[in-house]
Amino acid sequence: MKRTEYPAALRDLIVQLRQMPGVGPRSAERIALWMVQARSDHPANIARAITETRAAVRPCRRCGFFATAELCEICADESRAADQLCIVEQPTDILPLEKTSAFRGLYHSLGGRISPLDRVAPEDLRIAALVERVEKEKPNEIIFALAADVEGEATTSYLVELLKKYPVTLTRIAHGLPAGGGLESADELTLYRALSGRTKL
Amino acid sequence: MNLRDLQLRNFRCFASYAAEFAPGFNFIVGPNGRGKTTLLEAACVLLRLQSQRSTNLAPALRLGERSFVLVGHASDHRLQFYYSALRRKVAFDGVEQRDLAEYLSLARVVSFANHDLDLVRGPAELRRRYLDFIGAQIDVRYRPALRAYERALRSRNALLKSAHPRPRELAAYTEPLVRSGNLLRELRSAIVRRLAPRAAESQRQIGGGQEMLGLEYAPGSEEDFAAQLARARAEETRLRLTTVGPHRDDLRLLVEGRPAAPFASEGQQRTTALALKLAQAQIFAENFGAPPLLLIDDIFGELDAARRNALLGCLPNEAQKLVTATSLAWREGNLEGPILRL
Ligand SMILES: Nc1ncnc2c1ncn2[C@@H]1O[C@H](COP(=O)(O)OP(=O)(O)O)[C@@H](O)[C@H]1O
Ligand SMILES: [Mg+2]
Ligand SMILES: [Zn+2]
Repeated sequence: MKRTEYPAALRDLIVQLRQMPGVGPRSAERIALWMVQARSDHPANIARAITETRAAVRPCRRCGFFATAELCEICADESRAADQLCIVEQPTDILPLEKTSAFRGLYHSLGGRISPLDRVAPEDLRIAALVERVEKEKPNEIIFALAADVEGEATTSYLVELLKKYPVTLTRIAHGLPAGGGLESADELTLYRALSGRTKL
Repeated sequence: MNLRDLQLRNFRCFASYAAEFAPGFNFIVGPNGRGKTTLLEAACVLLRLQSQRSTNLAPALRLGERSFVLVGHASDHRLQFYYSALRRKVAFDGVEQRDLAEYLSLARVVSFANHDLDLVRGPAELRRRYLDFIGAQIDVRYRPALRAYERALRSRNALLKSAHPRPRELAAYTEPLVRSGNLLRELRSAIVRRLAPRAAESQRQIGGGQEMLGLEYAPGSEEDFAAQLARARAEETRLRLTTVGPHRDDLRLLVEGRPAAPFASEGQQRTTALALKLAQAQIFAENFGAPPLLLIDDIFGELDAARRNALLGCLPNEAQKLVTATSLAWREGNLEGPILRL
C-alpha cells in the first residue's frame, strides 16, 4: 500500500530548509508548514529579504568584513587609526573585538587559517591582499588575533615570517583565549584583556 | 571514592544489567564470555569516560544498537554517561556537563589485566599510552599538550607528503610542534621520575626482595627539539614524515640493569607489569588523597601463590577493588568481600 506524504513541492521546501545551519528535519518541517499556512505576509517578506540581502551584502574589498558598499563601515570611518592593523581568521571575529572598544584601528580578515588537515593552503586565504595592504597602508603595528590552537599558532607564525621584512611592529593578543573556539566564544572582558596585554613577536 | 552501584544499558553483551558494590574487595565470578571484563570496562568508562580496553568507545556499543547508557553512584554523586556515534552526554548529579573537570575530578582508575604483560614486551606505543593515561589524570596541561602535539604532527606529516614541497608551511607548523612537544617531554619526564622509585619498590616486594627494576625515560626529542628537527630535515624529506619527537618516546624498563623485554624471565616480566600499575595507583593516591578504584581482571587465578600474596600485600588497603575470576579456588580466608556471579 502506498503511504500518503506531503505534496512534492512541500517536501522539496523541507529538503531546502534543511540545508540551513542548525535546522534539523523536525524544525524544517515546522518552518515549511508555517510558510505555506501562515495568513500573514511574513513568509513572503522573508523570501524578499533573503534575495535582497544576498544582493546587497558582500565582503569589504579591503578587510573582508560585511559591507553594503565597496568598503565596510569600519574601513570607511576616517576617525579610525589607520596605523594599526588587526588580523583575524573570520569576518565574524571582528564584532566581538569591536564590542570591547579597546581597539580603534583597522582589521584584515584572512577568511580562514592554514590547515593541511582540512586542505587549506596559504593561497586559499586573503594573504596576498594582506601583503599588498601592508605595502600600501604602511601600518606601524600589526596585531595577530588568531585562535590559540595549533592552526592559529601556525598561521600566525607563517605570517610573521612573511611580514618581518617590513618596518612594522608585530604583536599578538595575550593568550588565554579559548583554544579552538576562536574569538566568537570568548567573553568581552577576556577579549579586552587580551587586546590590552599584547606581546611582541 | 567508592563506586556504589552501576547500571548498564546496551553496553557490549549487556542489554540491561545492574550491580552493587561494597568498599574493599568485590569478586565477580563466572565462566569466560559472561561479561566480567565488560563490567570492569563499564566502571572505567563511567568514571573516566574512556576505556582501559580500547581507545575508542564504538566497539562497546552492543551489536545492532546505536547508543549505550551507563549510570552509577560514586561518593554520593550520581554519574550518567550516554554515548552514541553522534553524541555523548555526561551528567553529574542530574546536571548535564559541558566542562568535564568536575566530573572527572571524582575518581581515578587503575586496571590490572593479563595483557599488561604487553607493557613490558610490546611496542613503545603501549608504554606511551600508559604514560598518557597517567598524565591526563594528574596534570590538567597534559591532555591539551598531547592533543596539540598530535595535531601539529599530523599536519606536518600531511605537508611532508604533499606533492609539492611546502617549506614555509612546514616551518610554520614546526612552531606548535616544538612548543607542545617540549611541554610533553617535560611532563612525561616528571611522571617517570615519580614512577621509578615506586615501581622499583613494588618489584622488590612482589619479586621476593631480589629483583631490581629501573625505569628510564627515553625521549624521542632532545633538549633543543627545534635544532634537532632542523638537522633531520633531509631525512624528513626523504621519508616524508616527522622522524624525531615525543611520538618516538619510550619508557625503558630494566630488570637487573638489563632491558626487560629480551632478558627478564616471564615471571619477572609479569612482576614488572604489576609494579608499573602499582606505582600508578600510588601516584594517584598521593595526588588526590584517596586511592583509585582498582580493576583487577583475571590475574589472581594466574599468579603463583607467592606472587599473589605479595601482590595482595602491595594493594592499598583502603582502595575499592573489583576482582574478576573464573573461579575462587585460589581465594584464602582473609579475603572477604561480596561475590557477584555472572
Ligand atoms: N559490542 C558487543 N556487542 C555484543 N556483545 C559483545 C560486544 N563486545 C563483546 N561482546 C561479547 O561480550 C561477551 C563478554 O565478554 P567479556 O566481558 O570479555 O567476558 P569475560 O570477561 O567474562 O570473559 C563476549 O561473549 C563477547 O563476544
Ligand atoms: Mg575477561
Ligand atoms: Zn573593511
